[in-house]
Amino acid sequence: MAKQDQSTETRAPRAARYLLSSVAAVAAVCAAATTAGAATPKNALVMAWNIDAISTFDPAQVGEVVTNEILQNTCDTLVDFDPADERRVVPLFAERWDVSPDRKEITFHLRKGAKFPSGNPVTAEDVLWSLRRVVKLNFGNAATLTEYGFTKDTVDERIVAPDANTVVFKLDKAYPTTLILQAIAANRVAAVMDMKTIMANEQNGDLGNKYLGTRTACVGPYKLTRWNAGESIVLEANEGYWGKAPALKRVLIRHVAEAGTQRLLLGQGDVDVARDLTPEDVKDLEASKDVSILKVLRPQLFFWNFNVADGPFSKEKVRLAMRYLIDYDGLGKTIMTYLGVPRASFAQLGAVGALDEKEGQPFKLDLEKAKQLLTEAGYPNGFEASLIFGTLPHSAPIAQSVQQNASKIGVKLSLERMANAQLFSKVRGREFQSAMLAWQTGVPDAHGNASRLVFNPDNRAEAKQTQYPSWRSSYQDLALNAKIDEALLEADTAKRDALYAEIQKDVMAKGPMAFMFQMYNIAGVRKDLKDWSWTGFKTYYARTSK
Amino acid sequence: MSEVAEVGSRRFASPGRKGLPSWVWATGRTIISVAVTLFGLAALTFFIGRLLPLDPVAAVLGDNATQEAYDAMYRQLGLDQPLWVQFARYVWGILHLDFGTALTTGKPVMEDIARVFPATIELASVAIIIGTGFGIPMGVLAAMYRDTWIDQLSRVVGLIGYSAPNFWLGLMGLVLFYATLGWVAGPGRIDFTYEFDLEPVTGFLLIDSAMAGNWEMFGNAFSHIILPASILAFGAFAYISRMTRSFMIEQLSQEYVVTARVKGLSWSRTVWGHAFRNIAVQVVTVVALSYAFLLEGAVLTETVFAWPGFGRYLTNALLAGDMNAVVGCTLLVGVIFVTLNLLCDLLYRVFDPRTR
Amino acid sequence: MSAPPLETSGTGLKAWLTAPIPASPFQARMQQLSLKWWRLKANPSALFGLAVIVLIVLAALFAPLIATHDIYAQDLGKRLLRPSAAHWLGTDELGRDIFSRLVFGARITLYIALLTAIIVAPLGLIIGTTSGYLGGWVDIVLMRVVDVFLAFPSLVLALAFVAALGPGIENAIIAIALAAWPPIARLARAETLSIRKSDYIAAVRLQGASPLRIILGHVVPMCIPSVVVRLTLNMAAIILTAAGLGFLGLGAQPPSPEWGAMLASGREFILTNGWIAAIPGTAILITSLAFNLFGDGLRDILDPRHG
Repeated sequence: MAKQDQSTETRAPRAARYLLSSVAAVAAVCAAATTAGAATPKNALVMAWNIDAISTFDPAQVGEVVTNEILQNTCDTLVDFDPADERRVVPLFAERWDVSPDRKEITFHLRKGAKFPSGNPVTAEDVLWSLRRVVKLNFGNAATLTEYGFTKDTVDERIVAPDANTVVFKLDKAYPTTLILQAIAANRVAAVMDMKTIMANEQNGDLGNKYLGTRTACVGPYKLTRWNAGESIVLEANEGYWGKAPALKRVLIRHVAEAGTQRLLLGQGDVDVARDLTPEDVKDLEASKDVSILKVLRPQLFFWNFNVADGPFSKEKVRLAMRYLIDYDGLGKTIMTYLGVPRASFAQLGAVGALDEKEGQPFKLDLEKAKQLLTEAGYPNGFEASLIFGTLPHSAPIAQSVQQNASKIGVKLSLERMANAQLFSKVRGREFQSAMLAWQTGVPDAHGNASRLVFNPDNRAEAKQTQYPSWRSSYQDLALNAKIDEALLEADTAKRDALYAEIQKDVMAKGPMAFMFQMYNIAGVRKDLKDWSWTGFKTYYARTSK
Repeated sequence: MSEVAEVGSRRFASPGRKGLPSWVWATGRTIISVAVTLFGLAALTFFIGRLLPLDPVAAVLGDNATQEAYDAMYRQLGLDQPLWVQFARYVWGILHLDFGTALTTGKPVMEDIARVFPATIELASVAIIIGTGFGIPMGVLAAMYRDTWIDQLSRVVGLIGYSAPNFWLGLMGLVLFYATLGWVAGPGRIDFTYEFDLEPVTGFLLIDSAMAGNWEMFGNAFSHIILPASILAFGAFAYISRMTRSFMIEQLSQEYVVTARVKGLSWSRTVWGHAFRNIAVQVVTVVALSYAFLLEGAVLTETVFAWPGFGRYLTNALLAGDMNAVVGCTLLVGVIFVTLNLLCDLLYRVFDPRTR
Repeated sequence: MSAPPLETSGTGLKAWLTAPIPASPFQARMQQLSLKWWRLKANPSALFGLAVIVLIVLAALFAPLIATHDIYAQDLGKRLLRPSAAHWLGTDELGRDIFSRLVFGARITLYIALLTAIIVAPLGLIIGTTSGYLGGWVDIVLMRVVDVFLAFPSLVLALAFVAALGPGIENAIIAIALAAWPPIARLARAETLSIRKSDYIAAVRLQGASPLRIILGHVVPMCIPSVVVRLTLNMAAIILTAAGLGFLGLGAQPPSPEWGAMLASGREFILTNGWIAAIPGTAILITSLAFNLFGDGLRDILDPRHG
């Protein structure tokens, strides 16, 4: 026995040594491999962003902000939002435009000599085809055009090209010209697509929808050269671009889902820009000397949506009471700092016709008022209701805050978090009592939201106006409908503003949505990156330099 | 992870079957049972897929679509067909390796999986190398010094490996080793600087960069993979070391060990040269099984480390309501499991002296 | 109590428990149990595991007495506070006391683990023993089903089920149970196969007992010890799966203080307020480690074959 003990003793270190030496080896390789102070390439913009939502690059189908931004930088539209003032439009692919005296005809004069990356010249034919295909494909984006009278049956006559460099919009009503330019001519639906290339790749009459699922075919300062779903996007400067060449040759977008991770990457200098930072990280980064925090209000509203079909939420006073349960101030200063600003009106700040900051947010947390309103509505002891929400990071804390306040006046809200796809499908099907949702409009005009969030053309269940959040909420107010129509066509700006002010105040008191916050676009940007340029409607990669 | 122990012990509890008429009979039975299992897998995944309360149509069309467009797409996706027709189509598709188109990427699910899978395989492979490299010596040591502090240490470390939520370890590891100490590179497979320098050949960055002789890139890829792989390896390490320990203890109590010792063979030669050789097959099967379970661990680890692999693809598909992708992925994992189990069985039958 | 009177004096009890020839079946069983207890006491890590489990169970039972704050009361002015005398483990993103939430969270964790065990044990036992005892076609069919379920990693299967059933704690339990019964069934079947051949089963069968009676009355009780060991070890896996579901937002719904969900909401603050994620993570680790340590020790005692 003694002998064995001895021998094991000599053996023990041997095996232990093996373990130790492997640990040391791994550690050594790690240390050697660590690259100190990784900097991004000098000629590239490197960005961390959650790009999971991308599923296609077809401008007729794209419906979310990330792809929209990519398209804006790769596919020129007819006109552009002015980077200095989002309410103005400036020429882009159309050099200039004329408007007929009755406002019902807009004539665009196109740039000459531009070429697609395929080598095909860009003509008015391409513009026509691009706009018409959006209507014919009939994805959600078709509404952008049909809303202003360009329907399947009329679009061929209403959008025409008298010659190779001119395109004419013939409108059915005297809409405000700027609104049409913003809503259509600056929208991705007016992106000029390479008809010849796309049609050569058409499958089963899909007008190239499948072909554009993974690539673009258009002309812009950058071109999309690589997309690995859920991983990365590479844009390269378009050599043959008609306009000014961008300062940075490449834009590299890396998919990073975790906000914390984005912040780490930004802090370590592995990326130039991080797009999804949390308020806590932003607060921390503001003290950093390498990073600046940039923010801009975007036309997105976060709101508590009620289904007014039946139950307590069918009562106007109940809906008003709910607005007094939202701790605008407390939430705005804590959870929503850097994420958004309190906003109770449907018209976003910065939009034509929007109420100012103060008038557009008259509510504050007031339990007594809420209780009194409930009593008047016939629910002195409160009620029970469900509240569903999706995976937006601020949804859960806001829902819990509202739930806690509601419980104090006897209103019992049961929360359920679900995948966004499921949330949307419930809301679209009117299968909900109340929900936390976000909605983004495409125009800096009060009409953008009024026409969708308030106006409801047909409230019958079988009408299935599912693209109208007002319909989803089972809400229709014919007087408001008429007023919205009137405001749209009012030529006198002062009168138009007054009409919208009226509508907004009305909706704040009884509408089916308690608007809570208008959201920011927020980005952490390394200080060696210069001239980051954006508005709520567009981000301009080509203006950025190092 | 403790399921692993179950699957593992099952293998060792019933080594082979007695009185098989011939190997043909055995092979035939195996093939039939695997086929039945695979069919069951397909059926289960299909019905899970149909149960998902997610709306594939809205995912395609977007929030703004009219009901008319919606109905058209509903028909186009074949959702108006009776369930059994849909199932038949689905099975038909599977037989042609066609899982349909992923709604989130617009590409065929098969293509997506082929693209994301190398990342996961690379991660799991590095993890299994780490787990085996540490697990086997630890297990042997624990057996050699049974009931001493070494054994106790290996037991506790092993059990922590079973017990720690690896997504949490991942988060904490990132904060410590990346953000605070700066020892390793951050989330993702590689720095952006290198990302586009290389055309993928195998899809495994470590191999591709080594083949291209780009050692700087290799180093970068390695510093990205080492942390997630180590964390993933923890569970495998625990399992491998525990199983190795118990196999080894069994061997060390055998008579030949005593005989070898009496003949004057040294302790380490006895253990490594004789005893270990006898448990090698068992250890290999354990390693193979834990490899399969690394694929499961990868689901959450990849989420934390932004690893563009299969686990993250599956999670995203789940959250986005991408039915085809979810079903395709789930089925694939099932097939891998069945295959690895089958391989282990075969390995066992062919090599294990006791079942011959 | 019709059982033999228990002596109150320590020596009497000890004598009764160590008597060489037990006088009644009850005494025999108690002697077995005390023997096992002695062996357990010799295993410090198992004992430690048991102690931690007891502690957690107590915390869960007396949560309202232990908690220092209302777990739902929010105070936006006091959010993200560091641990202090007023808030022992700090506060979360809505200003709620983390310590109190952690204590109540133990209830949810144990609730999930227990309920899952209650569903899984009988299901696995019945299917496993039936399959093993009856053999033939029943066995083939049931084992194919088990194979299909076993072919999925439990988290992936639970994820898929919970996605189908919708999020929520009850659905999470069902999903986890659906993913956790097959190993139990397989274990019970293996046990049954060896029990089936034993003489006393043959004797019972000759007396004309029905298969149902034999399975329930004679096979199932024999399988219970190994199933209990398996379940204890599985508890850890169940807790981890539940936390994983909570982490992905598919488990317990807010404002419930489920540990996985707490961890997920703390993830946002991992760099600025790291403890919010560290605390529930540690709680999950300790709980599941305790079950593993205890289960490991239990296996040594009840199931010496797998030592």
